[in-house]
Amino acid sequence: MVKQIRLRGIVVIGLAGLTWVVLALAAAPTQVEEITTTRNPRTSFADVAAGAKTFRSHCASCHGVNGEGGRGPNLTSGVFFHGSSDLDLLNNISDGIQGTEMPGLFYSPDRVWQVVAFLRSLSAGTAAKPTADVARGAELFTSRGCRQCHRVNGEGGRLGPDLSDIGRTRSVEHLRAALVDPQADVRQRYWVVSFVDTSGKNHEGFLMNEDSYTVQFMDMNERLHSVSKSAIKGYKVEKTSRMPSFKDSLNNSDLEQLVGYLSSLRPKGGAQ
Amino acid sequence: MKRIWVASVVIMLACAATPLHAQLTYERLLKAEQDPGNWLTYSGNYRSWRYSPLNEVTRDNARKLKLKWVYQMQTTHTVETTPLVADGVMYFTEPPSNVVAVDAATGRQFWRYRRVMPKKVNACCGQVNRGIALLGDRVFVGTVDAHLVALDAKTGAVLWDIEVADYRTGHSITVAPLIVKDMVICGISGGEYGIRGFLDAYDVASGKRRWRYWTIPAPGEPGSQTWPGDSWKTGGAPTWVTGSFDPEQNLIIWGTGNPSPDWNGDSRKGDNLYSDSAIALDVDTGKLKWYFQHVPHDVHDWDSVQVPVLVDDEFLGRPRKLIYWAHRNAFYYVLDRETGQFLLGKPFATQTWAKGLDEKGRPIRLPNIDPSLEGTYVWPGVQGATNWFSPSYSPLTKLLYVSVWENQGLYRKGEQEYSPGNRYIGSVPMIDLPDDPGHGAIRALNPKTGDRLWEYKLQTKPWAGVLSTAGQLVFGGSDEGHVFALDATNGKEIWRQNLGGIIRTNPISYQSQGKQVIAIAAGNSMFTFELGD
Repeated sequence: MVKQIRLRGIVVIGLAGLTWVVLALAAAPTQVEEITTTRNPRTSFADVAAGAKTFRSHCASCHGVNGEGGRGPNLTSGVFFHGSSDLDLLNNISDGIQGTEMPGLFYSPDRVWQVVAFLRSLSAGTAAKPTADVARGAELFTSRGCRQCHRVNGEGGRLGPDLSDIGRTRSVEHLRAALVDPQADVRQRYWVVSFVDTSGKNHEGFLMNEDSYTVQFMDMNERLHSVSKSAIKGYKVEKTSRMPSFKDSLNNSDLEQLVGYLSSLRPKGGAQ
Repeated sequence: MKRIWVASVVIMLACAATPLHAQLTYERLLKAEQDPGNWLTYSGNYRSWRYSPLNEVTRDNARKLKLKWVYQMQTTHTVETTPLVADGVMYFTEPPSNVVAVDAATGRQFWRYRRVMPKKVNACCGQVNRGIALLGDRVFVGTVDAHLVALDAKTGAVLWDIEVADYRTGHSITVAPLIVKDMVICGISGGEYGIRGFLDAYDVASGKRRWRYWTIPAPGEPGSQTWPGDSWKTGGAPTWVTGSFDPEQNLIIWGTGNPSPDWNGDSRKGDNLYSDSAIALDVDTGKLKWYFQHVPHDVHDWDSVQVPVLVDDEFLGRPRKLIYWAHRNAFYYVLDRETGQFLLGKPFATQTWAKGLDEKGRPIRLPNIDPSLEGTYVWPGVQGATNWFSPSYSPLTKLLYVSVWENQGLYRKGEQEYSPGNRYIGSVPMIDLPDDPGHGAIRALNPKTGDRLWEYKLQTKPWAGVLSTAGQLVFGGSDEGHVFALDATNGKEIWRQNLGGIIRTNPISYQSQGKQVIAIAAGNSMFTFELGD
């Protein structure tokens, strides 16, 4: 993917003028080669341990102690929004990522390479896990009713989170925990609001937005509403999830197949 | 036809009578209250009341407020700027550290100073800027890469540009400077990067430094015993919000920020003077006259970076020079401005960390409130019960208006090592608890008792300051994007407008073409309002 982007860049530059074509062709192979061939020189166990220490001190507050994500994204999948090559990681950790809250680290390249080594160790563990029967997991996803509320690549309900790229953004452990105990982490977007309107009719739906004066929600028939708080009564916000727990209704094997299926999900067109 | 001709002449004369860029002297800054058509300093006057004597917009007509103009900034960073208005020109910063001058009547740009930033500049909480200072024909701005720059007020050309500190060691400037006499008083940011804080004074003409007051004493100096080992070198105590000036005493009153590392105090056992304090400095020498520390040995990041409100009034039966201070730690304080003596302390928001304040104002801490590995829940949360955004004092109602957060935080302690330019914070607590985000309010306090008179409740926690006016109004804004006007006597909402972007700035008021204008930035734009027909 990196190569494709670079080649597209060369074409664009080429259209700008012959001189630039010459310069770009002269420079491009070096850049492509650098990105695809630069490898982390610090990958020993000692480097991973040192990288873990730096990570805990400077990165864990946003990315979680084990890279599971939090204020910042999950880093355990081995796939990164802003580039997944070793050099991408080195640059993004060193310089920060513009337009995000990610700051740069003022450390030597050697020390940043150690952080990269630690990050790679996180996804190495994840990569070893997919032993699940993804097809069986997909069957369970449908037969157990998940699809009624969750959408995958344009098919399914809209009441729960769209799971089209959940495998990229959530770790295996997170997915398993969410199936076993959905109440453990209920995002505000999925809190349930209820109230009575001026005609006495009850309303219920999933909270989408709220300010001091209005509330926006999706009702159980997936219709969008925006109402003034001054025009309703008995306004309540229920902070629990409507998703059932699969702790007792799925055996361990099926649970792992379902986790495996979810973990395999990527947006159409493949990951970046 | 004759009537139109006469009207044209009147308009021309009116324009001629208010030439842009009249000389802005220090004497005018001293008497800012007598010049309500302009907004000449960050807080409107040296006493930092954020109060406008303009009274055209009132409780009776505020419903007619209409958009006057909008200026869209060329930035994607969070806007925290407070504009200044002098003689028909509005000046404001555009983050990270650009400056714009526009016609205060139309919003049309005169000039724009664009500051090119180094590739990597680390500021704890975004590359923000809170405003500029004006004197003579000069504009002064601090930059995120820790420079102080003087610009020509008519063209934006750079007159001088000096390095205040090295940005590569975590220093940055986000504060709006304050002009006093012929000096630019400028603070520093970097409390999350283990800097040693200071407050500086620079010559307005040359940019030469007149004095520097280190907010952390060096070994052997008074207060140094509150810092073990070398912890003073990396102890924080920055000065990132504009303070106040008391001309009678020749004192600057300024707040200092948190000690570093923020949430792990193991390496800095002691009171950590003069972090989280009000400091009073002689403006000519930069010498400390007195201090009052709100939070000794802070481990919650509760900076004393609120704007000190200076009021002369009776207190406990005799006239006194007072400071009103609603603090991030959820206590409201009254201090004596001549001595720093603690006079009153009372919570103005929910807090669970102190039993109260003792007779000297020192908090009586409750057990088990420090950050821990597993996390400790404490009210208020890490951003406090209020923060850097400005309070307002109205001499008409004699009330103090404060933007308030009702929230708790989960404070986690973590490993920390110092390395220059990198964060030095000792973990990060959760700013917003997913299942308990808290809420906000605008509250009116009786400043002599700390009692709450009214509140205007908000769904979310506001990052916008408040402005009170002689029209008996209080203007504020919310993260939801609404700007609103409240009745200053009872908090009832009179006017509200959705501006469609978060408001993390302070409102001001000025006069343009004979009409009162309210200005506030929202999203990445500057908005102004005046009465419609």
